[in-house]
Amino acid sequence: MVSKTDEAQVNRLENQVDNGGGGAWEYLCLVRKLKLRRSDKVLKHGLSILNDPKKRSSLGPDEWTLYEQVAIAAMDCQCLDVAKDCIKTLQKRFLESKRVGRLEAMLLEAKGSWAEAEKAYTSLLEDNPFDQVIHKRRAAMAKAQGNILGAIEWLNKYLEIFMADHDAWRELAEIYVSLQMYKQAAFCYEELILSQPTNPLYHLAYADVLYTLGGLENIQAAKKYYASTVDLTGGKNTRALLGICLCTSAMGQLTKGRNKEDKESPELQILAATALERDYKQRAPTKLSLLTSTLRSLKL
Amino acid sequence: MGGELRYEIGQNAYIKLILHTLKHKTSAVNGVLLGRVSGGDTKPVVEITDSVPLFHSQIGLLPPLEIALVQIEEYYDQQGLNIVGYYHANERFDDFELGTVAKNIGDHIYRYIPQAAVLLLDNKKLEALPKGKDRSPVMQLYTRDVSRSWKLVGSDGSSQVTIKEPSANIVLVDYISSGKWQDIIDFDDHLDDISKYEHKLLFSLFFHHLITYFCE
Repeated sequence: MVSKTDEAQVNRLENQVDNGGGGAWEYLCLVRKLKLRRSDKVLKHGLSILNDPKKRSSLGPDEWTLYEQVAIAAMDCQCLDVAKDCIKTLQKRFLESKRVGRLEAMLLEAKGSWAEAEKAYTSLLEDNPFDQVIHKRRAAMAKAQGNILGAIEWLNKYLEIFMADHDAWRELAEIYVSLQMYKQAAFCYEELILSQPTNPLYHLAYADVLYTLGGLENIQAAKKYYASTVDLTGGKNTRALLGICLCTSAMGQLTKGRNKEDKESPELQILAATALERDYKQRAPTKLSLLTSTLRSLKL
Repeated sequence: MGGELRYEIGQNAYIKLILHTLKHKTSAVNGVLLGRVSGGDTKPVVEITDSVPLFHSQIGLLPPLEIALVQIEEYYDQQGLNIVGYYHANERFDDFELGTVAKNIGDHIYRYIPQAAVLLLDNKKLEALPKGKDRSPVMQLYTRDVSRSWKLVGSDGSSQVTIKEPSANIVLVDYISSGKWQDIIDFDDHLDDISKYEHKLLFSLFFHHLITYFCE
């Protein structure tokens, strides 16, 4: 989950490198820092540095980090020979390293040798029981084999120990959503909002889950979290603005025939609709009429 | 007594949705199929003439789907097309099941049209595409039967999906090798940045095809 500015920066760099404008090392560092999954580009541009002895030596000690990054990217692209070569180079440099041992186990995973990978991870954990990456590999392996419930179990066990790992909470939430276990997904987003209350993306995801759960109370709560997302993003988040309109429409349906006093004031919806129309007029004018008719049909 | 229902997908709709699945190789993707039912009682056919790529993240959430369907209904109604189906690609390579989220969205689409088609990407067939001469689409077709469940339509029956243009897979392989999937914009992309939307792509796909056609 990256911010718009970060994503724009990465894409700009990527374009630059793709078109021969240099900056490959900067790009690779940024991808690593933001933990993005762009394995085909990382493989291509990483190898171009590693295969050039001059470029490689200019990296100094960072050379080994690049070997690791390229090895993982290669595994993701199923270029297992490249991965093996990178790992071999690292093995020569760092004899008996646990970090390289981890890469070897990942290679077994990439080959689909699940049992052997499991054995490798277990033995690595004996010496280092608090290696977060290895714990998470187990959840990843379960997911890769289609054992989604197993992945959930591993992630829950992991989060009991490492409860500050936001990525893990998000992964768990997304797995729950894919299985339509929305209450459990909501719990994960609640944890995330508690620990990072100013991250609007968690408010937004939580609102989406609440709306999906349905029922008047949940939709009222969803509206509040769409509103807080709007607040935290300076009104620039299209999904949140649309969410407010959806909630108002849904609540209108659910409270039909009830006392007028129970009905919410329409101010928030009007503000959201106005903001959307203004934004579309400026940035997507050909789609404005479509937006207007969508908003009209929601008000019914 | 009428003829058996056929499903036919146009090249544009087919290529666009496959490219969509290739743009997001590490997640599930989905989208909606547009078209019409024609042929009357004697030769009924569900013609899929266009596809709208929808999402590549958190597919099980309602709000973006609801907004998308309202907009799609509105836009394509003006063009005389209806929602006739739904396509889905699973996250994992060896997952050939139609999952519950896909089935639920399928049920929603079924309300638009009882002959609704649900197309699930067949990863193995897609992988084998450049090597073979298969003209059939790299998708599995599911339809809802009287028991209200989604059933896979076998290749032995006549009620399977065919591609209207016989050389579609050749064009598709060409587009894949030239990385055309990078240009696909789906509804998720639009919601993240409203200045991005799909129609520019339609033009560019068609234009490229014209050039190839005239240069041969």
